[in-house]
Amino acid sequence: MSHATDTTEKVQPTPDVSDRPAPETDPGWLVVCWNDPVNYMDYVTHVFQRVFGWPRHKAEYHMLQVHHQGRSVLTRETLEKAEHYVHQLQSYNLHATLERAE
Amino acid sequence: MKLLEADGDRFSFYLTPTERAVLAELLEAYPCVPPAHARHRALTPETPDGTSIQQLLDEALAEQRQATRRQIRQWMRQPDTLQRHGHGWKLQLRPGEVEMLLQVLNDVRVGSWIALGSPDPLPQELPRDPERAHALATMELAGWFEMSLLQQLHEPPPQA
Repeated sequence: MSHATDTTEKVQPTPDVSDRPAPETDPGWLVVCWNDPVNYMDYVTHVFQRVFGWPRHKAEYHMLQVHHQGRSVLTRETLEKAEHYVHQLQSYNLHATLERAE
Repeated sequence: MKLLEADGDRFSFYLTPTERAVLAELLEAYPCVPPAHARHRALTPETPDGTSIQQLLDEALAEQRQATRRQIRQWMRQPDTLQRHGHGWKLQLRPGEVEMLLQVLNDVRVGSWIALGSPDPLPQELPRDPERAHALATMELAGWFEMSLLQQLHEPPPQA
């Protein structure tokens, strides 16, 4: 991910999985965002805030996970909702994919 | 590019004549990312039902890009979008238009990066080949507008 400013590096992320539904019969689908060298860190944070309605600290946590670990699982949803999120992320030109949850 | 005012549902930015000309050229270049580019592959081929899901996503994305293309051209033609302001221009944006502009600028940035061969890390020097030099300059300029928008949107509005 491309550095535009270093403000996001000050964040101390804490895992937050509170909005992920508990699996019952269907494990659902994972929405995954992948690192790339071209999108700015601030842009990725902004997109996560817009698409998921997350507060800035949570968006920054996932952005940093993408940046440092190469990918971040953003949410687990039904197929329909996961497709919607992937479509939204791709419309912002982020590299987002769907994975079957296990 | 400077934020002049933000009144909740409308943002106004000051653009110099050069910034206005460059922005118009960048917007004209949209869409820049090739439709079938690999970054839009949402699923691995072995995923069950992967082909139909991918097809739906591809169609949705292509439709949206066409709609955004029409929207951005219509927006640029509206008389209140760009108005003379001092020695430069006043660019007016409503919230939905901010997101549209960010998506379009980023598409031009990413499309130019793809045209350069998706280099990682990003090139630090201007290539000698004119076509590649143009792609790199376009990528950097689109990124400059993108970051200017983001930084100024997150700053408090200027005091009167």
